[in-house]
Amino acid sequence: MEIFLSYTVVGIVAGCVYALIATGLVVTYNTTGIFNFAHGAIAMVGAYTYWQFQDDFQGWGINPVISLILVLFVLAPLFGLIVERVLMRPLQGASVDLTLVVTLGLLLFLVGVAQIAWDPNVTRNLPSFFNGAGFNIGYVQVSYHEVVAVVATVAIAISLRILFNNTRTGIAMRAVVDNPDLLAMAGGRPVRVQQLAWALSCSLAALAGILLAPINRLDILLLTLLVVDGYAAAIIGRLRNLPLAVGGAMAIGLGQNYLNGYAHSGFLNRIQFTIPMIVLFIMLILLPQDRLKTASFSGAVAPRVAGLKSSLIWGAVLIVGTYLVSLSLSDINLRTGASGFALALVLLSLLLLTGYGGMVSICQMSMAGLGAIAMGHVASGGSLLGVLAAIGLSGAVGALLALPTLKMRGLYLALATFAFATVMDQAVFTQVFGTGGNLAIGRPHIPGIPTQSDQAWMMVCCIVFTAAAVAVLAVRRSSFGRKLVAVNDSPAACATLGVNVNYTKLIVFTSSAMMCGLAGVLIGGVTKQVDALTFPALLSLVALLLARVGGINTATGVLLGAFTFALFPVFVPHLPHILHNQFLLTGIAAVSVGRDPNGIGGRIAEGAAYLRKAFGMEAKPQFVATGPVAGTAAAVFLEEEANLVSAGR
Amino acid sequence: MSAPAAEKTGSTVRRDPHAALEIIDVSVKFGGITAVSDVSLSARRGQITGLIGPNGAGKTTTFNVITGLQEPTNGRVFIGEREVSHLPPYRRSRLGMARTFQRLEVFGSLSVYENVLAAAEFHHSWSDDATPPRLVANEIVERVGLSTVSEERVDALPTGIARLVELGRALATRPDLLLLDEVGSGLNHEETAALGDLMIELTRDGTAILLVEHDVELVMRVCDRIFVLDFGRLIANGTPEQIQKDPAVQAAYLGADTEEQK
Ligand SMILES: Nc1ncnc2c1ncn2[C@@H]1O[C@H](COP(=O)(O)OP(=O)(O)OP(=O)(O)O)[C@@H](O)[C@H]1O
Ligand SMILES: [Mg+2]
Repeated sequence: MEIFLSYTVVGIVAGCVYALIATGLVVTYNTTGIFNFAHGAIAMVGAYTYWQFQDDFQGWGINPVISLILVLFVLAPLFGLIVERVLMRPLQGASVDLTLVVTLGLLLFLVGVAQIAWDPNVTRNLPSFFNGAGFNIGYVQVSYHEVVAVVATVAIAISLRILFNNTRTGIAMRAVVDNPDLLAMAGGRPVRVQQLAWALSCSLAALAGILLAPINRLDILLLTLLVVDGYAAAIIGRLRNLPLAVGGAMAIGLGQNYLNGYAHSGFLNRIQFTIPMIVLFIMLILLPQDRLKTASFSGAVAPRVAGLKSSLIWGAVLIVGTYLVSLSLSDINLRTGASGFALALVLLSLLLLTGYGGMVSICQMSMAGLGAIAMGHVASGGSLLGVLAAIGLSGAVGALLALPTLKMRGLYLALATFAFATVMDQAVFTQVFGTGGNLAIGRPHIPGIPTQSDQAWMMVCCIVFTAAAVAVLAVRRSSFGRKLVAVNDSPAACATLGVNVNYTKLIVFTSSAMMCGLAGVLIGGVTKQVDALTFPALLSLVALLLARVGGINTATGVLLGAFTFALFPVFVPHLPHILHNQFLLTGIAAVSVGRDPNGIGGRIAEGAAYLRKAFGMEAKPQFVATGPVAGTAAAVFLEEEANLVSAGR
Repeated sequence: MSAPAAEKTGSTVRRDPHAALEIIDVSVKFGGITAVSDVSLSARRGQITGLIGPNGAGKTTTFNVITGLQEPTNGRVFIGEREVSHLPPYRRSRLGMARTFQRLEVFGSLSVYENVLAAAEFHHSWSDDATPPRLVANEIVERVGLSTVSEERVDALPTGIARLVELGRALATRPDLLLLDEVGSGLNHEETAALGDLMIELTRDGTAILLVEHDVELVMRVCDRIFVLDFGRLIANGTPEQIQKDPAVQAAYLGADTEEQK
């Protein structure tokens, strides 16, 4: 009974925190129609800021109560106003894709900012309120911190209910997303209402972060992702219904803690941390999806697809160019180059899946991780058999994941795949590799072909990427490619023309996962070992944003996106110190360049088409979209640079 | 094969044994609104059947039920002798049915030619028609009069032309049963006349056409039989002459005169 009670107390507290998170999400979704993926990161920054204010030794030692008031009632709302003005207001009526890119970009940006401001290698502690003091009910210990959490949540839930149901502002907040113009005509001012929503939502996030950090640990990634757990509750409330979301939050909090209390070992105990994500996944499956129908005329004008001849020529140019560059690179830069191509292969899988097929995925790195695991475990980690196993395992898991998610689009699909990636992080990778452990991955021996040196491995990566890119472009030009684009443009029309839309999507999802599996082999081959941190969910998110920034519908674009990230260590010495963070830069790129649906690759294609016209060549540009030429040029330039840097050291 | 529905009550057995399409007692409710109410109708081979009615009468919803995009609250759908009420949309289409959409559902990022080609390729992949898809596409683009714009991206085209693309796409699957939802709107007088001729030509090969159209003149010219919907209910059916004289139809159209002229 005591055990039951104490887990009930902990469960209620966890439920309250989830409820706060879900409430914050619902408030902004209801008033602006934007699902804020960055909510967790905002909570994390809130917790860190509070720590900075009140910590006596490393921080500024300000009175905790004053600090709390400053963070919750001044800084967080201010931050919300800035976010609204700079990022969210321009998103009025934007596509779901764009709101995803911007909020995911903000998430990475905040993680980057936090990593720069608060060195992740330094341990910090955020004390509970009242320094952990508490009282006993019978044998059950209850801390005042927990009491504060519950009281605050209840108070907030009640006041929001009153706000939404009984005040003009609240009713306006509910109305604004359904019809902002109508509200404006009726005298309500949607901008005001949206500002209020973002300010409120950021305060709620900060409070959740401050309550959560002492219970767990003050850790940037941990906090950001813990808060993502609260998304499940928001989805239970269908992003609109607050009481339902709060109820869901309680159920998740309690369920998770009973599991912790009663399943001491074995499978159930191991998955307790993933409960919210599993709930999220199941809720997304159960949620009624948009009908088959979609609006047409929404697709951005994608660059023309390269022909076979030009993709072969430019592929050869890329390989030869890479070889020439590789002759003068140091081992460390050879490995950098190899990982660039390996990452490019992951992004290429998104070219197929998202660029052509219109399906968003935030779990491509997890698929790569599965590939690496298969490679490491089959035939002592260095055989072609392992490569096949890698492709097979990733493909099989991809197909299994696709089945329940086929009907989802946009936001729901993004959430479901991200939930999957998080579960892989928490339940699979840590289990397979063990905490702090790793798995050795060999470079496969291919008779007659050198693969073992760093230079050879970089060439293997380059050739595999190029071959895959040529193949993807060929698929796009084939009748299957047309079907893929057609299914993306109008699933309803396809269905009435006899196309089994789900089957088509399944094939694409599976193929894309297989490419990731192969990429996992390449990634593992670069460092020759992988661990639980090689394929984190956050990196899947980075991959999606990089592809978007580089250009998710051109091969050039994905190559560019991958290399910009991979070559980070090379060009970072040239940047001001404040920008020395990959997440920060990716985030900034996403919210700026990422607004263009065709990315940099699209611009290059346009430029090339323009040049050809200017020189009076065939008006129908043939090579445009392949343009590994641009990739080569960038790679050559940056790798020369790389060489100089490492030589100069 | 006889209709597997025979064991049901008399009212749900097929009534028109020669129909290429028959729907029986179909109702659709959206929340509180009844969009379609106990509608039964049929379309015959080699004939053009009109389905008319004021705005919001439930014509498009009926099309969605027939093609399987909308689950009806009640009712059954037969294509030929086969009951398809529980088949997914793509399986129904493979029985030889194609449609156009009033709210366009074109493949916007493909060219006109590729739109038609894609449909021909789909048809090629699931039927035993061995004609190379490119030949089919060339012929159809010519036939619906899209040759001059065949290389244009469809989302850059005016709505009227995009409707013809949808028609071409539907024809590329060589349908026995063709559902047209206001293909004619956005066309000028001559183009509408050509469209009418094309439809009549198609019926000579035995195609059954179910036509939703606001252009009364066109409907009266080409239809063999007309069903009239108002507020989701079937208020009349008969030949064009009968429909023109029908007092219920006149009342419905007078009541909704302004909208009908859109
Ligand atoms: N998905 C839906 N959800 C709710 N109501 C709907 C939906 N689709 C249609 N309706 C309603 O059902 C009724 C019938 O609509 P429908 O589009 O079938 O009419 P229609 O005869 O095609 O009209 P029009 O001539 O304007 O095309 C209308 O009142 C419409 O508002
Ligand atoms: Mg209609």
